[in-house]
Amino acid sequence: MRELGSKWGAPERSTRSVVMRRAAAGGSAILAGGALLALPATGGSAPSRSLDKRIFGFALQVEYLQAAFYTAAVEGGALRGEVLEFAETVADHERQHVEFFRRTLGSAAGAEPQFDFGRRTASKRAFLDAALRLENSGVAAYNGQAANLTKKSLSAIASIVSVEGRHAAWVNAIAGRQPAPRAADPGATAKVVAKRLERLGFVG
Amino acid sequence: MSRIDTQECTLEQIAATLVDVDIDGALQETAASAFPGTRAAFMRRSLGTIATAGVGGLFVGDAVAARKAMTRNDIALLRFDLVLEYLQSAFYTEAERLGKISPKTRAWVRVVGAHERSHVRALKGLLGAKAVARPAFNFRGVTSNQASFIKTAVAFEDLTAALLKWQAPRFDSRPIVAAALTLHSVEARHAASIRYLVGLKPATSAFDAPRSQRQMARLIARTRFVTSRPQVARNERPRFTG
Repeated sequence: MRELGSKWGAPERSTRSVVMRRAAAGGSAILAGGALLALPATGGSAPSRSLDKRIFGFALQVEYLQAAFYTAAVEGGALRGEVLEFAETVADHERQHVEFFRRTLGSAAGAEPQFDFGRRTASKRAFLDAALRLENSGVAAYNGQAANLTKKSLSAIASIVSVEGRHAAWVNAIAGRQPAPRAADPGATAKVVAKRLERLGFVG
Repeated sequence: MSRIDTQECTLEQIAATLVDVDIDGALQETAASAFPGTRAAFMRRSLGTIATAGVGGLFVGDAVAARKAMTRNDIALLRFDLVLEYLQSAFYTEAERLGKISPKTRAWVRVVGAHERSHVRALKGLLGAKAVARPAFNFRGVTSNQASFIKTAVAFEDLTAALLKWQAPRFDSRPIVAAALTLHSVEARHAASIRYLVGLKPATSAFDAPRSQRQMARLIARTRFVTSRPQVARNERPRFTG
């Protein structure tokens, strides 16, 4: 049996019972350490409701982080003008995404981890840098799982990922970067996404 | 920064403006003749093998594997996308060449045009002999007028993202789903960035709505930008036209 601990609840190939146990563990997902085992991009297990649930559980963790970050940034009071408008708008969207996944997952929804954003919300520059990473990672996370979802879940995710893409382009533009740096947005495995997000140091 | 509207522009409003882009109103092409729709019922054949990771599949050289897994339904959807990408790339290439748009807009067009041209190449590569030929276009002056160019570009990008979203759960092959999604979020980025450029809100809702292929075909037909019916490339059998 592989290491189960996963602070992101990253989907992995595991039995239903393992998944349920981990989901039940809820908040303990914030514990550090543990291998983050990603799904094969495609060609792994066929789409199924239980796989959808694991992917949604992972997406919920990413959305928790985004929603908490923007909410903290808005409340922190350091942002002005178009940066503040971006943060307020995106905070609202990410909270709606959290709600969507919590509603869809029901009792299987993991609890919100505790975050520490340090000084990342204290200045425009630090905020933009973190927001760039969060949004680009969000797009890669969803694109990486798209082909693993059942059609019904894919419809829902598709409505969210393009909004993440818009956020990403928006924050890139504010930061003076290319809003769409590539002709295709490659997906990333859950493992890679979790690593990228961990590097931000927001989770204990 | 040229503002086209201080209010938020919804997809519905923008879609409606597409109709106004043209003036002379003759020669209304029907959607059905320009873009044959896909069948209502999709084939759900189980695929023998789903080869290799589909993520970024259009661009990482596994077009052959992806092509093997394509169903007729997938082909019909991708052919529609190809026409749309032809349309976008021709639109941006013409605007860039004419040079009548603002320098900022032109810089945007240079990047986005390159993306759309690369989407054309990717889709043609994927479709192989099933690719439709490039139709002729007539943009009726829109590419040489800043205001109408912006309106149309915003509409194209928002609508293309919305169409790919509608298509996503309708593809049969998983590598194709993965590949199409890598284009989908880029079109959303384009939409957000052109909106940002002209002072519109880049993201107006937490959930972007899909737009069906039929609706798209109707809107495109109304612009009368497509002046010749897309021709089917060699070896094409009629039943693949959907």
